[in-house]
Amino acid sequence: MMSDWFKTKKPHKLPTRAQPATDAPAPRKYDAVVVGAGPAGASAAYFMARDGLDVLLLERGPFPGAKTCGGAAIIAEQAHELFPNFWEEFSYERIVTRLDYWWLSEDSAVTAGFTSSRLSAAPYNRLSVKRKNLYTWLAAKAVAAGATLLLGHHVAGVLLDGYQAVGVRVAPPQSTDYLADLVILADGANSLLAERAGLIPPVTAANLSLYAKETIALPPATIEERFCLPPGQGAAIGLIGYPTAGYNGTGSIHTFHDSINISAGMSVSAYAAGGFSPGDLLERIKKHPRIQPLLDGGVTTEYGAAMIPEGGYHAIPPLVHPGLLIAGDAASLVNGIHGINLAMWSGFYAAKAAFEAKKNRDFSIRKLSLYRTLLDESFILQNMRTNAKAATLQRDRPYLFDLYSRLANEAAYQMVRAYPMPVKDKRKFIWRKVTSLQPVGKIAADIWQVLKVVKG
Amino acid sequence: MSKLAAKIALVEFRPDETWQHVVIADQEKCRRCPDKNCLRVCPSGVFAWDNIPGHPVLVSYRQCIECGACRLACPEGAVEFSYPHGGYGVVFHQG
Ligand SMILES: Cc1cc2nc3c(=O)[nH]c(=O)nc-3n(C[C@H](O)[C@H](O)[C@H](O)COP(=O)(O)OP(=O)(O)OC[C@H]3O[C@@H](n4cnc5c(N)ncnc54)[C@H](O)[C@@H]3O)c2cc1C
Ligand code: SF4
Ligand code: SF4
Repeated sequence: MMSDWFKTKKPHKLPTRAQPATDAPAPRKYDAVVVGAGPAGASAAYFMARDGLDVLLLERGPFPGAKTCGGAAIIAEQAHELFPNFWEEFSYERIVTRLDYWWLSEDSAVTAGFTSSRLSAAPYNRLSVKRKNLYTWLAAKAVAAGATLLLGHHVAGVLLDGYQAVGVRVAPPQSTDYLADLVILADGANSLLAERAGLIPPVTAANLSLYAKETIALPPATIEERFCLPPGQGAAIGLIGYPTAGYNGTGSIHTFHDSINISAGMSVSAYAAGGFSPGDLLERIKKHPRIQPLLDGGVTTEYGAAMIPEGGYHAIPPLVHPGLLIAGDAASLVNGIHGINLAMWSGFYAAKAAFEAKKNRDFSIRKLSLYRTLLDESFILQNMRTNAKAATLQRDRPYLFDLYSRLANEAAYQMVRAYPMPVKDKRKFIWRKVTSLQPVGKIAADIWQVLKVVKG
Repeated sequence: MSKLAAKIALVEFRPDETWQHVVIADQEKCRRCPDKNCLRVCPSGVFAWDNIPGHPVLVSYRQCIECGACRLACPEGAVEFSYPHGGYGVVFHQG
């Protein structure tokens, strides 16, 4: 898109100019060095290596996936376009055939869901996955295509020659510099590398959400019974309202083969305002009367927490720099809580731009902005654009999720009650109950805002 | 053992004994800080304070699960955060 192309064309001021760490002979130079073996980085490395580029993939964890947690389900239909029949190559957990949203109040839930055995046929709609399995498979694929993967390598900074990125510096214990024509930052949410190199504005507490997760072990048959699932099939449940104690945030439940992942979180700034911790949120949601029975008797096997960029379309920083591209969570490419596919696809587009740049021996912003163009034309940015106003709405009306979950629950409760009164009077009674929670004028104003967003 | 401590005990850590990756550089800022967001936001209880005015905020970096939220939550910019050096720190296995 031309307008965006001009945006990325402006020169960027880069503050630091790093000197090589030692006077040792110049190490071998790569076509591209990729930071982070998550779905974004490993996809970029795979597609570049497949197209014949000499690629180095650096990961700080002892294995890919060791440093991230929470969720997760992958939208298989989208990943299948990039990695045909990928489910045959690694062990996923369950085929998701039940998708639910639960709007919770203190003691009840209004639910909407879809469940169908049609979702159980390949290409699957969603698969629940453990990150270790997904990430390790993808990184191995990059290696099989010819990329070099170094684990336990923490990149401490980007090496710059003037404005041009020329490589990266690895922190101790290796303390090595690696030079490359192109650097791809795929280091996840909270990209300290991009921020410290002055490539993106500082990441803020309002744009990042912090989720705590717990993995709870249960026998497979118990999971299938409690979630009404045929063997091998799984559920993904989005939890809205009560989980985040009056703030806009969400929770989720994902069923694995013999465990459940339950996560809850909200924006980092909301914890400070609310006066509780991510662990408190998780405990609260686990005790909810509709959720506790699902977990009953389960044994917690792992606790964790991670951040997810939720600033939406308007929080996407400049992604194209001289000799450098930013992909995945580091680029804020998350739609709702879906980020794995966006990460993979952004890695794919970065690889395409890298291939063209290498062919023309031109790693300038001008050449590399093909990346931004491809993203702009893709479903990724189109969907994020469509949802852009929703993110703003959540920020401007921080009570929406919780309040309307309570309203819906109150209305539904009164509706199912069988009062000894005529239906007409019952409707009036319910209306009075609901409007006692939020005045009519304010409901109307909220609905108007929501409609404006939904209509675009 | 508190509930949180029991959960943290389930997590695998490979702490770097030679380098601390979360530090409070200036305790003076903490002394002046009324809300002490770090105590609440950290999901892993890394920051601790004995509630005695003037006493420092302690940082148990070995149990950090590397979410990265503390540096964003601190209004004073007092938390100096980097991820641990390669191969060290938290290791998640369950996804
Ligand atoms: C609780 C929770 C639930 C989620 N659920 C879902 C879901 O159900 N479906 C979905 O699609 N998405 C989900 N997401 C979002 C998804 O996890 C991310 O969007 C996705 O992982 C982004 O991929 P990435 O490759 O950009 O970053 P990451 O997966 O974070 O990978 C970044 C990699 O870079 C490495 N790294 C970081 N810094 C350095 C450095 N300096 N040097 C070397 N290596 C480094 C890290 O160790 C890591 O391996 C969820 C997120 C959270 C927090
Ligand atoms: S929030 Fe920051 S300044 Fe306040 S106590 Fe914590 S580290 Fe210190
Ligand atoms: S990174 Fe997260 S877990 Fe580690 S100290 Fe900061 S808030 Fe706590």
